[in-house]
Amino acid sequence: MQEHTQLSHKQINEDLLKGVLTVPKWWLPAVSFLGLVVLTGLGAFFFMMYHGLGVTGLNRPVMWGVFIANFVFWIGISHAGIMISAILRLTQAEWRRPITRAAEVMTVFSLIAALHTPLMHVGRPWRVLYWIFPYDFSRGIWPNIRSPFVWDPSAVGTYLIASSLFVFVCLLPDIAILRDRAKKPIVKKIYAQMALGFRGTPRQWKLQILAGILLSALVLPVFVSVHSIVSWDFAVLIGVEGWHSTIFAPYFIIGAIHSGVSAVAMLMALSVWLYGLDKYIKPDHFDAIARLLIVVATTWFFFFFLEWVYALYTLAPPEIALRELQAFQWPYGPLFAIFIITSFVIPVPLWLFKRVRRSVVWMFWTTVLVNIGMWLERFLIVIPGLIRRTHMTFDWGTYHPSIVEILIVVETFAFVCLGMLLFAKVLPLVPLFDVKEGMVNRRLIKVGRRVIPATIREGLPHHYYEKKQ
Amino acid sequence: MVDSNKWGMVVDIDRCTGCQGCVVACQSENNIPINLEEHFNQRRAIQWIRIERYWEGEYPDVKARFIPIMCQHCGSAPCEPVCPVYATYHNNEGLNVQVYNRCIGTRFCANGCPYHVRFFNFWEPEWPESLKNQLNPDVTVRSRGIMEKCSFCVQRIQRSTRESERDNEVLEDGDRGLNPACVNACASNSLIFGNFNDPDSTVSKMKEDAMQEGGRGYRLMENLGTDTNVIYLRKVDEFVVEAPHG
Amino acid sequence: MVNDPGDRVLEPYVETDNSVETRKAVSDGLLGIHNITSNRFWQFAALFGIMFIFGIVGFVWKLSSGFDDKSTWGYYVAVFAFLMTTSSAAPMVAIAPRIANSHWRRPISRAAEIWTLAGCLNLILYIPLIWLLPSLENGRRSLWFYGQQEGVPAYSPHIWATLAIVGLVLLGLSLLWLSTLPDFAVLRDQGEGWKKKWGGKLALGWRGTSAQWNWQHHRMGVVGAFYFMMLVFVHFFISVEFLMVHVPGWIDSLYPITHAHNALQAGVATVMLTMFFLRQFGGYKDYIGLDQFWGLGKLLLALSLLWFWFWFSSFNVFWYGGKPSEQAVLELFVKGPYLYLFITIFILVFILPWFTMIWNPVRRSVWGPAILATSVLIGTLLDRIRLYVASWDVAGRSMAKELEMKMQDVPTKIQTPGYEDIFIMVGFIAGSILIFMLATRLIPAVNLWEQKEMLLYKAEIQFHRTKVTVMGKPR
Repeated sequence: MQEHTQLSHKQINEDLLKGVLTVPKWWLPAVSFLGLVVLTGLGAFFFMMYHGLGVTGLNRPVMWGVFIANFVFWIGISHAGIMISAILRLTQAEWRRPITRAAEVMTVFSLIAALHTPLMHVGRPWRVLYWIFPYDFSRGIWPNIRSPFVWDPSAVGTYLIASSLFVFVCLLPDIAILRDRAKKPIVKKIYAQMALGFRGTPRQWKLQILAGILLSALVLPVFVSVHSIVSWDFAVLIGVEGWHSTIFAPYFIIGAIHSGVSAVAMLMALSVWLYGLDKYIKPDHFDAIARLLIVVATTWFFFFFLEWVYALYTLAPPEIALRELQAFQWPYGPLFAIFIITSFVIPVPLWLFKRVRRSVVWMFWTTVLVNIGMWLERFLIVIPGLIRRTHMTFDWGTYHPSIVEILIVVETFAFVCLGMLLFAKVLPLVPLFDVKEGMVNRRLIKVGRRVIPATIREGLPHHYYEKKQ
Repeated sequence: MVDSNKWGMVVDIDRCTGCQGCVVACQSENNIPINLEEHFNQRRAIQWIRIERYWEGEYPDVKARFIPIMCQHCGSAPCEPVCPVYATYHNNEGLNVQVYNRCIGTRFCANGCPYHVRFFNFWEPEWPESLKNQLNPDVTVRSRGIMEKCSFCVQRIQRSTRESERDNEVLEDGDRGLNPACVNACASNSLIFGNFNDPDSTVSKMKEDAMQEGGRGYRLMENLGTDTNVIYLRKVDEFVVEAPHG
Repeated sequence: MVNDPGDRVLEPYVETDNSVETRKAVSDGLLGIHNITSNRFWQFAALFGIMFIFGIVGFVWKLSSGFDDKSTWGYYVAVFAFLMTTSSAAPMVAIAPRIANSHWRRPISRAAEIWTLAGCLNLILYIPLIWLLPSLENGRRSLWFYGQQEGVPAYSPHIWATLAIVGLVLLGLSLLWLSTLPDFAVLRDQGEGWKKKWGGKLALGWRGTSAQWNWQHHRMGVVGAFYFMMLVFVHFFISVEFLMVHVPGWIDSLYPITHAHNALQAGVATVMLTMFFLRQFGGYKDYIGLDQFWGLGKLLLALSLLWFWFWFSSFNVFWYGGKPSEQAVLELFVKGPYLYLFITIFILVFILPWFTMIWNPVRRSVWGPAILATSVLIGTLLDRIRLYVASWDVAGRSMAKELEMKMQDVPTKIQTPGYEDIFIMVGFIAGSILIFMLATRLIPAVNLWEQKEMLLYKAEIQFHRTKVTVMGKPR
C-alpha cells in the first residue's frame, strides 16, 4: 500500500520546494567544484582558440575527434526530455509525472553542452555567425542550404527554443507558487515577472495544458529531425565507408533514446538520494522506466546488428577492414568490447529481474554503464570511421585526443551537472502541479480481494458516446 | 578558341619516377609552409600534391609504385555541397575552388573528400626569416583555422587567360605560363595539363585515347561517381598495377 | 476514508460492476451475435471462394510455367510479400497494446489474431519461392559470408528463411489458440451442435482456475514477444532474400526495418478495416466503438509519419551522395519507370493519412479511419508491386555476379502482369479473407474473456460535474 498513498497539497509543496527554499550541505562545495571544472574547460577553450587547433590531437584524415563524438552524445542525451515528456504525455503514461521536469531541464542543458563542442572546434570560431545565422551579412552569400551543417543549427536551434518554451510553460504554475512563497521582495519580484501573472484561473489552466500538449506534439517532428540531421552529417559522405549507411538516422535516434532514457533514470536516482524525493519517485517509476529501457535497448541492438551486417554484406574490403579495426584492433577493440558489454550485455539481462528494476542503486549503476557504453559507441563511429581503412593505405591515420580536448569534454559534463544543480536551487526539479494532477486523477479499484491503482482517463469525453451512439 | 574552359590533368603513372619535384615546386609556388619532420609525424603536413609510394610484391621481387595525388577537381565533388559557408564551390572553368576568406574551418569538406587532398591549417604558418622574401605575391598566405588545397595554380590560369584575351590570341597548351608549377617541374613529363573543352589540346587527345575500351586511362575511385578532372594512365608492365581505384 | 490533495473526502476505492449477471450479459450478448450467420455472409463467402479457386488455378498455371525466367515472378512475390505485410502483421495490434496494458484493444485483439490463420496461405505461396531463392553458389552478396568462411552450406538462406516463416506461422497459430482457450471453453459449455463439439476438443480442459489463467497470461506474453521478434526477422529475410540480392548495389541497411515498419502500418490498416466490417456488417456495433477507431487511428497516423521518415532516411543518403550505383537503384525504384506509381503510393500511404488523420474528428469517426485504412492497404499493395516487380525484373537479367548496377541496366518500362499473376493476386487476397470469415464461425470475432476482464478494471464515477471513466492498471 506504500505505493499509493495520497499526499496533501501542502505536503507536496513542502517536499518539492525543499531544494529551492533551503540549501543542502553538499550544495556549495559541489557547485564550486563543478564551476571550477567548467572554468578550466573554458580556459582550455580559450587556449585552443589562441593557439589554433594544433593543440588538439586532430590530424589528416581524422579531422573530427572526441569533440564530435561528444556532440553526438549530448544531442542523444537531449532526446530524453522529449521522449519522456512529450511521448509519455501523449500516450497518457501516468508514471511520467514526477520525472518530466528533470528530463526536460536536462534536455535544455545537454543541448547547450552539445552546441559547445562543434562551435568550439571550428578553425575560426569568431566567424561562426556566418555559419549558424541564416543571413547574408556584408558578404552577400547566404549559408549553403545544401550542407547538413546548415540543417544542423536550424534543427538544434529549433529544438532548443521549443524545449526551453516547453520547460517554461510547464514551469508557470510552479513559479507562481514560488512567487507566493518568496519572502525577499526582490526575489518575489523576479518570480512574479517569470510567472507571467499566473493565478490559476480555469482559463489560464486550460491555456497552459493546451500549450503543453501542442508543444509536445509539435516538438516530436523536431525531435526526430534533430538526430536524423546529426546522423546525416556523417551518412551523406560517400567517401567515408563506415558512415555512408542508410540506417544511420533511425540508428542514431534509437541510440539517443537508449542513452537519454538511461540518463533520466540516473537523474531519478540522484534526486532520490540528493533531495530525498523517495515519496514521489518510487520503485514503480524505476520499474516502468526499466521496462521501457528493455524494449529500447533491444531495438537499438537490432539496429546496431543491422548496421554491422550490412557493412559486411557489401563485401567491400575497406568496410571489412574498418569493422576489423573497430572491433579487434588496439585500442578500439577493448573499447568496442566495453561498449557492447556496458550498453547491452550487462544491463538488459539485469533489467529482466524485478528486484533490479525496483532498486534505486541497481538502476543507477546499470544506467551509468549504459551511458559509458553509448559515449564509446559515438566515439567508435566517429574516430575509426575517419581513420578509414580505404584502398589508399598511404592515408590511414591514427588519433590520440590531447589534454585540451579531454578538458573540454569533461567541461561539458560538468556544465550539465552544474546547470542542473543551479536550476534545482532556483526552481523545483519535480513539477508540483503535475504531481498534484496525478494525485487528483488517482483512484483505487477493487478487483476481487485486491485493491489496485487506477486513474481517471482523459479519453473521449463522456457526452461523445451518448451523442453518437 | 572554345567558349568555356574545363581545366584538367592527365597523369601518366608509367612515367612517374617518384622524384618529388612536383611537390617541391608546388610548395614554393603556393606559399605552403615548410613541412618539418614533426608535421609528418603528427600527420599534419600540407602537401597540395603528394607522391604516394606503395610497395608491391614480396622480397626479393619488391617493386615501388608511385602515384601523384592532387585535388581531382571533381565534376561532382563530395566536398562542395557539404560546406555550410560556400567556401568551396565549383567555378565555371571546371575547377573546384577554395575561397579562403569565407572558410570558417568546420573541416566537413576534408572528411567528405575521398582522396584526402584537403588540408587544414592547424597552426599559423611560419617561414624562416630567409625564406620570407620568396613568398609568391600572387598567392594568398593562409592563416590558421582554414582549409586549403590544390588549385591547379589558379593564379597562373588567371594570368595567362587574361593576357591571351587582352592580346586576342588563342591560348594553347602551356602558353604564357599556363601550366601549374608541378607540371612545369615534372622532369619525366608524367603530368600534362590542359583544357578538356578544347578538342585539340594534348589532354583532350590523351583522354580520348586513354578512356576508350582497352585504354590505359582510369579515374581514382571511379565507383564514387565523382567525375574527376584528373585522368590517370595505368602503368605498363607485365605486372598488373594494383591501382587504388577500387 | 482518504483525502485527496484538495482535502476532499474520497471513497477508499471505486467499486466495479463485476457481478455474475453482468459477466453473463456480456458473454450472452457476444455469443448471440456470434451464433448468427446471415445469408449475406454465405453469399460473400461464396464469392470469395470462387475468387480463391481462380487463385488456385493461377497458382498451378504459374508453377507450370517454370522457374527459369525470374523476371516473370515479380508479381507473384509481391502478392506473397503483401500477404506477409498484412495478415501476418495484424496480430501485432493485439500483442503490442496487450503488453502495454491498453484497454481499448480488448474488442479487436481477437480479430487481429484470427488473421494468423491466413498465414497458412502464405506458406503455400512460399513453397515455390524456395526454388527461386538465389543460392550462395553464384557469388551473390550474402549475409552468410559465403566464400570467406568455411562450412557455410550453399543453401543457408533457404534453410533460415524457411525456418523463420514456418516459425512465424506456428507462433501465430499458437498465439491464437492460447488466447481463444477460455472462449472455446465457453463454447463447450454454452454452444450448440458442432461448435460445442469443437469447442470441447480445442479447449484442452480449460476450467478457468487461477493456475490456468496465470499460465495462459504468461504464455501469451512470451509467445507474443517471440511473435514480434520473429516478424521482424521474417521481414529481414524477405527483404534481403527476395529484394536486395537481386539488385546489385542496393545496400540499404535500413531497408529491413522499413519493410517491417510497412508491415506494422499495413497490419494496423488491416485490423482497422476488419473492425469496420465487423462493426457495420458483423453486428458488433455495441462492442467496437469509437475508442477503438480513435486508438488505432492515432497509431496509423504515427506509423504513416514514420513511413515518410524511413523512406526519406534511405532516400536522402542515396540521393545526396551521388554514387552511380546508388543513383541507379534510385532510378530503378523511384525516378525511372516507376515514378508515377511511386507518387501514387506516396500519396496513398503518407500524404492522405497524414493530412486527414491529424484532425481529431477524422480519427474519432468510423468511416474516416476505414477509408484511410483502405488507402493505406492499396498503397502498400502497389508498393510491394513497385519494389518486387522492379527488383525481379533486374534479377531476370542475371546480374547476380555484379556488385554494382549501372544506369543503363535499369529497365525502362514496368513489366505487365500475366493473367496468372492477376488470378493469384485476386485469388489469394480473397482466399485470406475467406479463411478469416470462415474462422469467425467457430472463433468469436470479439474476445469474450477480454471483454469480461475489462469489467474488472473499468468503472464510471462522478467527478465534479461530469462522469468520467476510471481505468485500473494491473501490475
